[in-house]
Amino acid sequence: MKRAALALLLLAAPAFGAESLTSGLSQDSVEITSNYNGTDIIVFGAIEEPGEGKIGDVVVIVRGPDTLMTVRRKDRIAGIWMNDARARVVVPSYYFVSATKPLAEIASRDTLSRYEVGISHLHADPEASDGDPGPYVAALVRAQARSGLYRESPSGVEWMSRTLFRARVPVPASVPPGSYNVEVYLFHQGDVVSAQSWPLYIDQTGFERRLFDFAGSSPLLYGVSTVLMAVLLGWGSTFFFRRRA
Amino acid sequence: MEIYLPIAQMSVHWLAILAMGFAVGFLSGVFGIGGGFLLTPLLIFYGIPPGVAVATTASQVSGVTFSGVLAHWKRRTVDFKMGGVMMVAGLFGTAFGVWLFSVFRRMGQAEFAVSSSYVVLLGTVGGIMLNESVRTWRAQRRGQSASLRRSGQHNWIHGLPLKMRFRQSRLYISAIPPVVLGFAVGIFSGLLGVGGAFIMVPAMIYLLRMPTNVVVGTSLFQVLFVTAVATILHAVDNHTVDIVLALILILGGVFGVQYGVRAGAKLRGEQLRFLLALLVLAVAARLFYEMAMRPADLYSLSSGAP
Repeated sequence: MKRAALALLLLAAPAFGAESLTSGLSQDSVEITSNYNGTDIIVFGAIEEPGEGKIGDVVVIVRGPDTLMTVRRKDRIAGIWMNDARARVVVPSYYFVSATKPLAEIASRDTLSRYEVGISHLHADPEASDGDPGPYVAALVRAQARSGLYRESPSGVEWMSRTLFRARVPVPASVPPGSYNVEVYLFHQGDVVSAQSWPLYIDQTGFERRLFDFAGSSPLLYGVSTVLMAVLLGWGSTFFFRRRA
Repeated sequence: MEIYLPIAQMSVHWLAILAMGFAVGFLSGVFGIGGGFLLTPLLIFYGIPPGVAVATTASQVSGVTFSGVLAHWKRRTVDFKMGGVMMVAGLFGTAFGVWLFSVFRRMGQAEFAVSSSYVVLLGTVGGIMLNESVRTWRAQRRGQSASLRRSGQHNWIHGLPLKMRFRQSRLYISAIPPVVLGFAVGIFSGLLGVGGAFIMVPAMIYLLRMPTNVVVGTSLFQVLFVTAVATILHAVDNHTVDIVLALILILGGVFGVQYGVRAGAKLRGEQLRFLLALLVLAVAARLFYEMAMRPADLYSLSSGAP
């Protein structure tokens, strides 16, 4: 629905004429290596506008791959807190939004919701076992924000000059690998006049990648290798100690 | 320095992990326990996903116990026959426990099942051991020879059929109690991701009446095999064994266990049991406290739909 709206907009964009947008990323992939501890990517761009009129507002959104999440609520049963009700939602595993000014001042709720701009406007489509999914979605957003995976940075897009902008997107160490999407919107008087979308690949590389693939493709061999490694280390240490003793 | 874990998909401070491995390995050497019941909660507290913590702990325990088994083997304090009987029964128990865990996980009650099992088990075992060790201690202070091994005194176990001779333990008893014990402990290994020595050690002492010096080596021997199988089962079923995390934990652990075995040799049997009882009770109390206290966030998050 949302992607369709974006595609339609991209086709129709030249028709708006007045202002348009050119943007890019500092890197189109993030490689997770053994000492990966989070990084930043830079989204930058320029507004091309014919006249000397007022420049619009820029919104930068980075979305991770959609995943199914289960949120459980604990209740006190016989003096013990245990999981009781649950909700399931399909949400992006990572979501970052940043703009040149607070989102509420850029466009109406309806417009923001149509483009899923802002954490509160994500179309989570929750299904709760006890009826009201509201608290579950709120809890999910809280938890994701705590681990740095959901982030709203109201004025994180800075103007470098009158028409040049730049935004810093934090990619924390806990990001799930996958195919990400960077969306850059130009709003003018509460409506999207131009938009661009870029793929961003976040993936494990090198030794880590090979271990990950090994664990997935031949789990039995992987499990046996882990045990062998464990036992060999245990064995090796006794030699070390025997020599010292 | 931070290091990225490929399966847990997060970066950790490798020195902190190494220290955890060493500390748990040390206790493991002193008491002849695998240390899984300490390491799993520690890792979860550090922020490792519970599934990865449980599965990787199993591999760490097998690595650490291997050097412990070798150390005890040199001292001739392993009853391989007794350990072998328990091990075979334990493997069946482990498979059953892993299946039980998946059932609880589908119900969304894995966390509750694990915590409550820990509290009941650790609380009971710790209480019995504390009581016994204090009584022995007091009796010795009064100058009585309160030997733990009441030889000649028969209990119900001696009435069971299928008797076997366990020469290393100087026992001639039925094979049924070790088999039942091994199987039961195996269930807990699969369910809780621990070796189960904290149940095994007291049961061997109080139920089977094995000499304390053989108990430690023999339980390490049994734990080695049960945790090795648990690691492989977790790797195949859940893809939750992180080999990088395991490597760091084992490096810390194997050195810890060597120092632990030396420290343990200096302590008397009832002192060992008294200290182990305190440790076990402390973990049980902490877990019970967590279950009874209102959690900071009532909601918890997990990916997928287990």
